[in-house]
Amino acid sequence: MTAATTLADEPIPPAPTGFLRRHVFSTDHKVIGRQFLFLGLTFLAVGGIMAMLIRWQLARPGAPVPLVGKLFFASAGGVISPPAYTALFTMHGTIMIFFAVTPIVIGGFGNFLLPLLIGARDMAFPRLNMASFWTLAVATGLLCASFFVPLGPPQAGWTAYATLSTALGTPGAGQTLWVIAIYLNGASSVMGAVNYITTVLRLRAPGMSWLRLPLTVWGLFLTSILNALFVPVLGAAMVLLLFDRLFGTQFFVAGTTPGAGGDPILYQHLFWLFGHPEVYILILPAWGIIGDLLSFFARKPAFGYRVTVGALIGVVVLSSVVYGHHMFTTGLSPLLGESFMVLTMIISVPTSLLVLNWLGTLWRGAIRFNTPMLFCLGMVFTFGVGGLTGLYLADVVADIYLHDTYFVVGHFHLIMAAALLLSLFAATYFWYPKMFGRMLNERLGKLHFWLTFVPLNLVFIGQLIIGAQGMQRRLYDPSVYEAWRPLAGLNRGISHAAYLLGAAQLLFVWNFFMSLWRGRPAPPNPWEVGTLEWSVPSPPPHHNFDTIPVVVRGPHEMANPAAKPLGRDWLSQTELVEEPPR
Amino acid sequence: MAVAARNDAAVRIVLPRDISLDGHLVDRALGYLTVTTGIAFAVALGVMLAALILHRARAGRTWAQHTHGNRPRDRALTFAVALILFVGIDVTLAVRAKGDLEAHFWRYPDHDPTALRVEVMARQWAWSFRTAGPDGRFGTPDDVVTLNELDVPVGRPVYLKLRARDVVHSLYLPNFRFKIDAIPGSITRAWFQAVAPGRTEVGCAQHCGVGHNRMRGELVARDEGDYRAWLARAETESRLRFDAAAGSAADAWDWETGL
Repeated sequence: MTAATTLADEPIPPAPTGFLRRHVFSTDHKVIGRQFLFLGLTFLAVGGIMAMLIRWQLARPGAPVPLVGKLFFASAGGVISPPAYTALFTMHGTIMIFFAVTPIVIGGFGNFLLPLLIGARDMAFPRLNMASFWTLAVATGLLCASFFVPLGPPQAGWTAYATLSTALGTPGAGQTLWVIAIYLNGASSVMGAVNYITTVLRLRAPGMSWLRLPLTVWGLFLTSILNALFVPVLGAAMVLLLFDRLFGTQFFVAGTTPGAGGDPILYQHLFWLFGHPEVYILILPAWGIIGDLLSFFARKPAFGYRVTVGALIGVVVLSSVVYGHHMFTTGLSPLLGESFMVLTMIISVPTSLLVLNWLGTLWRGAIRFNTPMLFCLGMVFTFGVGGLTGLYLADVVADIYLHDTYFVVGHFHLIMAAALLLSLFAATYFWYPKMFGRMLNERLGKLHFWLTFVPLNLVFIGQLIIGAQGMQRRLYDPSVYEAWRPLAGLNRGISHAAYLLGAAQLLFVWNFFMSLWRGRPAPPNPWEVGTLEWSVPSPPPHHNFDTIPVVVRGPHEMANPAAKPLGRDWLSQTELVEEPPR
Repeated sequence: MAVAARNDAAVRIVLPRDISLDGHLVDRALGYLTVTTGIAFAVALGVMLAALILHRARAGRTWAQHTHGNRPRDRALTFAVALILFVGIDVTLAVRAKGDLEAHFWRYPDHDPTALRVEVMARQWAWSFRTAGPDGRFGTPDDVVTLNELDVPVGRPVYLKLRARDVVHSLYLPNFRFKIDAIPGSITRAWFQAVAPGRTEVGCAQHCGVGHNRMRGELVARDEGDYRAWLARAETESRLRFDAAAGSAADAWDWETGL
C-alpha cells in the first residue's frame, strides 16, 4: 500500500478560479460527470422523441404527425416518409445507445462516483478525462450535422450492416458522418476506460481492498475493462467501413458471385464482437448500482457479496464468447451455431446468481420504499422478464423464427431501455443530493416511478407479444403484410402506452430542474449509508476529501450490531468501533 | 380491404398457422421456454413480493438481519437454485435444440431425388425464385423463374440456396417458422416442407433499405397434381421470356451438393 499512501500524502491541488476552467474545460471529475450527464439526458430526450415518432407511424401508418409534423416532415406534408422512418429508427438506436445511455451511465455516474466511492481526489488522468468528454462532444456535433447534409441522415440501422452501410447501399455524407461519429464516440469511451481502470487500480484509499469496494465500483471497473478490450474492435470496423465508403476499398463490399470481393459477414463478426459485450458494458454498472442500493434500502448487507463479484467477473469473461447468437440466421457453421448457443446459455448461471443474491438481500431486511428503491425493484422486475426472454433467442431453433422480429426488440429494450433506465433513475434519485446538494421531490418521484414502470412494461412486453406472432422489426408499414393486419390494434395500444411513458418523463424534467433551486437542502447523509461519498459535504469540494480516508470495512454494514450503541443501524466504511468477532 | 378493416381493432395473440413439417419443433421449444421461464419468474416474483410485504420497515421492524450471505449454506442454496434453473431450462433446451437441428433443420436433402431445388436471388426489393426445369440444370432456357412468388409441392422437401445482389436480405416464412439470410458474396441454404396446401406470405426480415417494407412475396403450396399443372404453365411462360443476353440468366448458378 505504499503507493496509495504516498498518493494520499500529495498536496491538495488548488481549485481553479476562471469561469472556463471551472465549468467548461474543467478537469474536475464531478464537473465532467455532470457534463456527460447533461449531454446524455439531452439526447435521451431527443432519442425518446424519435421513439414517439416511430410509434406514431406504427400506430397510424401514413397519417400526418400532429403538432410537430409540419416542422419535421414539411416536404411530405407532415407525414413520415419511408426514408424519414428509416432515418428515425437508425438515429433512435444510435443516439440512445451511444449518445444517451453510455454518457449517462459511464461518463456521468461513472465519473462523478468513482473517485468519491474509492476515496480519491480525482481521476488518475484528469486531462484525459476532459479530452474524453470533448471528443464525445465533437462526435455528437458530427452526428447532428448528418441531419443537414444532402441525401439526409444515416439510414442503415444502428447496426449499420454492410453492404447496406457502404456507399453501395447508403450513399451520401450522412452515413459517412455517422461512421466518423461512432469512431470518435468509441475513442472517447476508450479514454474513459483507461482512466477508470487506472483510477481503481491505483487510487483506492488505504484499506479500500478489492472486497471492500462498493458493487457500483465493481460494475464500473469491469465495464471499463470490456470497453478497453472491445470498443477498439468497433473502431476497426468503422475504419474499414470508412475506407469502403470513401476510398473504394472492398473490405465489406461483395457482389453476387461467391468468393469475389470482400465479406459483408466480416462486418457482422466485428460489430457483434463489440456489440454483445456492449450490452454488458451498459448493464454492468447498473447491476452494481442495484446491488448497492438494494442493500442500502433493505437496511441489510448485500447478500453473497463475493458470489456477486464472482458472477460479475464471470459475465465479463463470457460476454466475449457469445456474440454469435446475433448471427444464427447467417448460415453459421453448425459447430459455431451450437457452440454460441451453449456459451450464451451458460451466461444464465452468473446472472441467476446475481438475481438470487438480490432476492437474498431483500429477505429479512427492513425495507424502506423511498423513490430510488422503487426504481430498483422495478429494475429487478424488468430485468427478470428481459433476461428470461434472452433464453428464447439463445436457442437456435426458436431464434430462427424469432430473429429480427419485434420479440428481439422487446427483449433488448427490456434490458437496455427498461432495466437500464430504471437503474439510472434510481441512481439519479439517490445521488442527486450528492451532486447538487438538494433533494429531489419524493412525492413527484414516486409518481414518476409508477407512470414510468407501468407503461414501460406495457410497451416492451407488448412488443414481445407482437414479435412472438412473427412481425418483423423496421417495417415502415406492417399492414403491407396481411398477416400483421390483425396486429394493428395491439400496435396502437403499445403506441398509446409509449406516449404515456414519454409524457411521464416531463415530471422528471420538472422535478430535476425545480429541485435545483427549490429542492429541500440535502442533509449530510440523507439515505443513512456508510459509503465514502457521504462522508464529505454535498456537493463535495473540488478536492473531494480534505484528508484521504482510511477504510476499515465493507460498503454495506447495515444492521451491524456494533452500530446499535451509536443509535443507528449502519456503520460508515471509515469509523472505528468495537465489532464483535464474526 | 373489408377484412382488414374489420381486423384492425382485433388483438390477435396466437402464432401464425403452421403448415410446415418441422415448424412444430419451433413451437415446442417456444412452449417449453414459456412454461419454464414463466414458472421461474413467478416463483422469483413471489419471493420478492413476500419479502417486500413481510420485511418492510415498519413499527416493530426497524432492524434487518445482519448477514452477508457468505455462510456455506447460503451459498449452497443460491448455487443449487442456479443449477436447477440451468439444468431444467438451459441444458434441456440445448440438448433438444441440438437434436432438432441435426435431425431436422440442418439435415439438408442433398441426396433426396424428390426434393425441389430452388435458387433464390434477393435484391432491393424483390425475390426471384428459380427451379431447374426438366433438364435438372440451372441457367438453361427451361428454368422456371418467378418473381415474389414461390410455388412448392406439398409433401416434398423444398431445398433453397440463396444469394443476394446488393445488400443483406433475409427470407422469412412465418408459417414455416424459419428465416435465412441472403448475403452478397456467399451462398446460404435452408430447407422446409409444406404439409398442407395454401397461400402464405414471404417477407424480408433484414433491414435492406427504404423499400424493406415492400419486399414481400407469397408462397403457394399446392398438392402434387395442382403443382404439376402449374409447373407446365409456368415453364411455357418462362421459356417464352428467356433471354440469354439479359441479366436475369446470370442469377442462376450450378447447383452443387453441400454448399
